[in-house]
Amino acid sequence: MIELIATAESIAQAEDLFAAGVDTLYIGEEEFGLRLPHSFSRDEQKALIEMAHAQGKKVNVAVNGIMHPDKMKKIPEYLTFLAEVKPDHVVVGDTGVIYLLQEYDLPYIYDAETLVTNARQINFWQKKGAVGAVLAREVPFEEMQQLRQYVDVPVEVLVYGATCIHQSKRPLLDNYFNYTKQGEETSKERGLFISEPKKADTHYSIYEDQHGTHIFADNDLNLIQELAELAQAGYQTWKLDGLFTPGADFTAIARVFAEAKEAIEKGTWNEAEAIRAQQEIQKYHPVGRGMDTGFYHLDPTAIK
Amino acid sequence: MTERKLKRPEVLAPAGTLEKLKTAIHYGADAVYIGGDAYGLRSRAGNFSFEEMEEGVAFANKYNAKVYVAANMVTHEGNEEGAGEFFKKLRDIGISAVIVSDPALIEICALEAPGLEIHLSTQASATNAETLKFWQNEGLERVVLAREVSMEELAEIRRNTDVQIEAFIHGAMCISYSGRCTLSNHMSMRDANRGGCSQSCRWKYELFDMPFAQEHRSLTENGDVTEEFSMSAVDMSMIEHIPDLIENGVDSLKIEGRMKSIHYVSTVANVYKAAVDSYISDPENYVCKQEWIDELWKVAQRELSTGFYYHVPTENEQLFGPRRKIPVYKFIGEVLSYDEASGIATVRQRNHFRVGDEIEFYGPNFHHFEQTVTEMKNDEGEMIDRAPNPMMIITMPVAQPVKPGDMIRKKKD
Repeated sequence: MIELIATAESIAQAEDLFAAGVDTLYIGEEEFGLRLPHSFSRDEQKALIEMAHAQGKKVNVAVNGIMHPDKMKKIPEYLTFLAEVKPDHVVVGDTGVIYLLQEYDLPYIYDAETLVTNARQINFWQKKGAVGAVLAREVPFEEMQQLRQYVDVPVEVLVYGATCIHQSKRPLLDNYFNYTKQGEETSKERGLFISEPKKADTHYSIYEDQHGTHIFADNDLNLIQELAELAQAGYQTWKLDGLFTPGADFTAIARVFAEAKEAIEKGTWNEAEAIRAQQEIQKYHPVGRGMDTGFYHLDPTAIK
Repeated sequence: MTERKLKRPEVLAPAGTLEKLKTAIHYGADAVYIGGDAYGLRSRAGNFSFEEMEEGVAFANKYNAKVYVAANMVTHEGNEEGAGEFFKKLRDIGISAVIVSDPALIEICALEAPGLEIHLSTQASATNAETLKFWQNEGLERVVLAREVSMEELAEIRRNTDVQIEAFIHGAMCISYSGRCTLSNHMSMRDANRGGCSQSCRWKYELFDMPFAQEHRSLTENGDVTEEFSMSAVDMSMIEHIPDLIENGVDSLKIEGRMKSIHYVSTVANVYKAAVDSYISDPENYVCKQEWIDELWKVAQRELSTGFYYHVPTENEQLFGPRRKIPVYKFIGEVLSYDEASGIATVRQRNHFRVGDEIEFYGPNFHHFEQTVTEMKNDEGEMIDRAPNPMMIITMPVAQPVKPGDMIRKKKD
């Protein structure tokens, strides 16, 4: 059974995503969750969870920030709230939050971004209560195949969306604009990019929020053509990240993935379907943002 | 008067090679951290074979110093193979602790090499007391805090835990939360978390937006602005805040830089050893000496700041625009022996110098003096006016007594 997870930017979009065939919403609030399209209020989180459960769907809540003491102090109150509204999972990356979770009846998925690259790490967190883990984006498929053999819990993979490749506590953009006296806006909405030296056509998204400065890979990930292989290899928890793909476009892309999922489950998916789906995604993917398959097809030995 | 009992923190220095290990300890480091042939994060730093580790541990034991091994890579599938044997070997050699961030390696070490202390690496970005408690429950003796932790946060973490705390006090800093950066993987196909970091955060970038999602509009070349975007930051030095670190109960003061030279390691270890000793022996009358600060600047590669300890770094702590000129000193030699009767030192040359040069001698316990090179002889006793050959042995009169292991530096023109 394949599970399709998607971020949501509003209650209305969440409803559309479920209608489009998404199984699980990945939501949260900015204070505790990293790089979310929208920060939902407590009432909205509760409403979304109720709405999802009424339809037999699920909600995962992001509590995956790196928590400094001031933030950590607010965690028990938030976990208490979550334990009451009962999302299906919380998604956690800070070991301190895992320490606190011992006191709560909240199943968690381990997501420390770049740090989940080996089956033994996942097994370790499973022993500490994790019921799943989110795989780092830097693991090639060849390694994924090996890893899967040694893991008992679902391992979530990003199949569509932006890949964060750097999180700094420093306000890197504010510092720059203070130096140049440009007084620019630095939030995600400002839509800033950086390009590598001598590679003017590269475009790494960059923005700041209360967790620091975030930088994203040159191209967004799109594994539509790799889905069948992923499912075959035992990777059946797929995440779609709409951080940079707003509104109805994201829902339309989610629909393509939901159709792919259904076809793969029925055994009707084929290469022609995959190509058609790829073209469909291209139609809705934001203009100016590239897509590729990230580290998926890389030879592990090519990474030094 | 009630005697205040202060806990003396260890000064922990980097040692990329056996020579650096010996130097660091000779210059006052209470502990050093080194890399093994595997599982480390500095594939290009000098790493130690088991034989070298044995020699290093034997040397350290004579000084009552400790040797830690950094095994802080984030493993991919299969990288952990052999780690159990590796950790057992380290334990049997007498390594005091391993510095690890990957829970896979932590578990292997705990299971297969019981008795070997485990310290959580800064790669795990520990920023709260709960994280420290978690790892303490797992049997870890010490946690290296994330460099993003402020002094106030450190104090709070200390109040709420009793596991040992290690904190960075000097050197270069990751721009990201350590471990949470794969710029190098994506830009250079080099794994930042497996020893390949290409330091992409130190590069210069163009910053732009894309109005109408097409047009590429630069903000780094925009009207009067010509400064490129950079994440690169100045380095850290906490020399002026040793009392704060000690009063807040830090157990280990960590100096960054396994890739750094013996000149660097000896100088920095010497300074922090002096400052810590000074504060512990007489906290009430402690002053941070200008000569310590001056000394650190002699080996500084970038300007210095206090990292995140007292405020989040601003544009002033990042490397934009023209930089303040740092006087550059080069390491020119080390003393092999000294003849008290004649006042002649035998020196191994480590960099070119000549008669007439103003040079500076320094040794452990902050022993210092400057002099002019008046004359030199080569190892055949012939007068020479310059020492051009690497590692050549020379003799020269010195203005004050020196000891084997003292170093000589010279300000670059």
